[in-house]
Amino acid sequence: MSNDAGKPQSAAVAFMVAGSAWFALGTIYGLFSAIHLMAPEFFNNIPWLVFGRTRPVHVNTMIFGFVANMLIGCALYYVPALLRTRLWSQKLGWIAFIFWQIAVLSGPVTFPFAITQGREYAEYVWIFDLCIMISLLTLVFNCVLTIAARRQNMLYVSVWYAIGALIWTAGVYPIGNVMWHPSSGALPGLIDSIFLWFYGHNLVGLLLTPLAIGAAYFVVPRVTRTPLYSHTLSLIGFWTLLALYAHIGGHHLLQAPIPNWLKSISVVDSMAMIIPVFTVLANVWLTARGSLSRLWKDPAGRFVLAGTIWYLIVGIQGSVQSLPAVQRITHFNNWVIGHAHIAVLGFSGFIALGAMWHVLPLAAGRRLYSHRLVNVQFGLALLGLIGFFAVLTAAGLIQGVGWYNGEAIYRVLPEIAPFMVLRAALGILIMAASFLGLYNAIRTLRGAPLRESESPLQEGPL
Amino acid sequence: MKMTPALLVIGGIMVFWASVFIVIILPSIVWQEPPSAAWQPWSDDEAAGHDLYVRNGCSYCHSQYVRVMDWGEGAERIAQRGDYVNQLPAILGTERTGPDLSQEGGEHPEDWQIAHFINPRNTRPLSLMPSWEFLGMRDIRHLTAYVRSLGGKDATFRAQRQEEWKPQAADAYAGGPAANIQWLHDHVPAPWHPMPNPYPATDAALQRGHKIYQDFCAGCHGVVGDGNGPAKEFLNPPPLNFTELRDHLVGGQYIGGIFYYQVMNGITGTGMPYFKRELESEKIWDVSNYIAVDFVGYTDAETAPLGIDASYEPEWKNNYSLPGADEK
Ligand code: HEC
Ligand code: HEC
Ligand code: HEM
Ligand code: HEM
Repeated sequence: MSNDAGKPQSAAVAFMVAGSAWFALGTIYGLFSAIHLMAPEFFNNIPWLVFGRTRPVHVNTMIFGFVANMLIGCALYYVPALLRTRLWSQKLGWIAFIFWQIAVLSGPVTFPFAITQGREYAEYVWIFDLCIMISLLTLVFNCVLTIAARRQNMLYVSVWYAIGALIWTAGVYPIGNVMWHPSSGALPGLIDSIFLWFYGHNLVGLLLTPLAIGAAYFVVPRVTRTPLYSHTLSLIGFWTLLALYAHIGGHHLLQAPIPNWLKSISVVDSMAMIIPVFTVLANVWLTARGSLSRLWKDPAGRFVLAGTIWYLIVGIQGSVQSLPAVQRITHFNNWVIGHAHIAVLGFSGFIALGAMWHVLPLAAGRRLYSHRLVNVQFGLALLGLIGFFAVLTAAGLIQGVGWYNGEAIYRVLPEIAPFMVLRAALGILIMAASFLGLYNAIRTLRGAPLRESESPLQEGPL
Repeated sequence: MKMTPALLVIGGIMVFWASVFIVIILPSIVWQEPPSAAWQPWSDDEAAGHDLYVRNGCSYCHSQYVRVMDWGEGAERIAQRGDYVNQLPAILGTERTGPDLSQEGGEHPEDWQIAHFINPRNTRPLSLMPSWEFLGMRDIRHLTAYVRSLGGKDATFRAQRQEEWKPQAADAYAGGPAANIQWLHDHVPAPWHPMPNPYPATDAALQRGHKIYQDFCAGCHGVVGDGNGPAKEFLNPPPLNFTELRDHLVGGQYIGGIFYYQVMNGITGTGMPYFKRELESEKIWDVSNYIAVDFVGYTDAETAPLGIDASYEPEWKNNYSLPGADEK
């Protein structure tokens, strides 16, 4: 890659390809974790393969390594493209890239040896938190100066989301990781959980979600070659997302002894999350109206379209499972794991993949190696994920209803055993999808150059 | 409305920090966390165990708060805000692949915990928990100390009760089978002694009992009931060898009531856990019949004193002869 470092879009390409690689590694760790829950003595007494250590590698590699990486890569391409300029500094882009990768790499390097801060989603130890912060701040700086140097006066909605995601996450991350306490990364006592879930929720809500929406807003009009449906809907979706999402972290703690007013806020505003979800989806789908088949036939568009449909399901499920009455059954079990997979992989992951297949050829100036492989990847990932959703939701309901009926957890373990086997089997499909994607991305980089007519800055979605 | 860079950046930052003010800064200002009545500080060993708990990802499978609706999980003590004072971090958990641990202290004696940490299948044949043997004994002791502390003063009370009974149980075991069984049975309230198993030991019942035995008991008492399960090497007293009971039935003929009582309530101070949460009545009677028939070679099922014939009973006749009788 180093000989590409001087090319105009090299940082964006680097982020996207790294995302594909982390996707592949993350699925391996997902499979390790799934195998444990199927056969706990499969890797018996191998310290670095014990479930409590592989699981955080899986989760962090997926969120920071795969989805965030890929979506940041896309943003580094579409932000300057939409502003009809160049990224202010490729070099700074590369610095952000390197620090981000160091942090992601620290997952598989430190967690298997029990070097972790242990709080879910905030496991990276302080020094790597610092790497993330350096990366985020350089990205913000770079993007803001890119805006300043823009040749297109209007800011397209994708740009709002990209800038927003970076600026907000630069605030969310240090608060949630309690970075002013370097050794523990935590506050003493129960209040820590409020900080943690403010963070945990906004990591997906104010980083992955806006980046994915921004990418969808970029790809869909370009593929369908139709103008954006409504500027007003864009505005509503953007500001309500920010206003509502930021304070619903409490819905992860509804049954814990935190103050009731925080729970109330989180429940009410989780219901209200219907507004940003539906306005964004309405806007994207209405933009594509009449051209849905074009979206479906384009391999990248297909991923993005599926991602928006997952977003609908995730949004509805998310709001419903924020209700205390529903959480009595769904909290603490595989139901939430199902939600997490359709959210992170289905919504933000599918859009990341789609956007990458759209953007990578443009940013690298190469023709996509194989449309066919993208479609195969899509089929595998979709099949695997639908299976995950069904299997995990069913397992979760069995657990939740059983417990609510007074059954001890040990008694319910054998009942979920078949589902754990199915989940591991389905995981192989998703793993295959990730490796195909990595292969396709690498082949694309080494492939034929793009024709002049397909060149990046000619047509925007505006 | 036109989205300008200033609106985007400054507006975005303002709305974001307004939210931070509401859900982070405000709670921090008004937060009060007086220690709850049960709270107590950790010893060094307990703190070391907590650190291991955090670093090894126990929290991905275990929660640390009991909710109102957790009546299958011990809702005697619902979590309170003051239970977590000074814990760094207070790691609540979001998933229950395994049970809640906030009240785990004193549920089991230390030897059970060690046998379980070395390999959870030792004491719990169907467990999904990883083996922690690779951590080494020092770390396992720290984890055990930590687990003993979970539940604060309530846990200390329970743990001390285990520790009071432990030497008595060990001494009884050292005194040989007869004295040991005498000791065990003396602690079962007298009305339970001359109590036969009211359930017929039909083939179906024995098969059910067999399944329950394999899923819950075999790790300790051994697949053939001789007490030689894999947990044995860690437990003192070791799991009971059921075949010994043959010569020590109550009054030469009863064992059903003793079995029921012991399985239901466990034997404090020994590895024998209580099963009242996991096994309902019929299951306990079934597994008792299974142990009696397969390992003791005799069951008192449906012998006198009988009540009125129960409507669930199939036609069944107890053909097992008393141990004394068939040895002639
Ligand atoms: C893969 C998930 C998993 C992980 C990781 C895990 N456990 Fe468990 N744990 C379980 C399950 C399932 C049970 C219930 C069955 C049993 O008792 O083994 C359990 C049971 C327990 C119990 C016994 C509860 C009782 O009284 O029956 C203790 C104590 C415990 N775990 C402590 C720990 C500690 C400490 C760690 C970290 C070093 C840990 N667990 C990691 C799944 C897990
Ligand atoms: C963790 C190990 C362990 C497990 C699991 C276990 N036991 Fe025990 N059991 C013991 C020990 C230890 C004793 C007491 C031995 C002593 O004090 O000599 C005991 C004693 C008993 C007794 C007392 C007998 C008497 O005459 O008083 C019965 C009955 C019994 N176990 C049945 C069961 C059944 C049924 C199960 C499964 C549902 C079971 N045990 C599971 C360890 C275990
Ligand atoms: C090979 C495919 C995969 C397998 C086998 C797999 C398996 C698992 C397992 C076993 C867990 C832990 C569940 C538990 O604790 O009970 C988990 C959690 C998680 N996985 Fe995956 N996974 C796969 C793919 C993915 C992908 C592609 C993503 C995201 C893009 C993802 C995101 C997550 C997240 C966010 C969690 C945490 C869930 C939570 O804490 O609620 N996984 N996965
Ligand atoms: C749009 C509205 C959404 C709402 C109202 C919502 C709501 C919720 C709720 C209530 C939980 C906690 C469930 C429980 O613990 O019982 C949860 C968990 C989770 N959500 Fe969402 N969600 C939404 C969207 C998303 C999106 C877009 C993503 C990812 C891109 C996401 C990722 C996750 C993850 C990873 C978890 C698991 C957290 C854990 O480890 O416990 N959610 N969500």
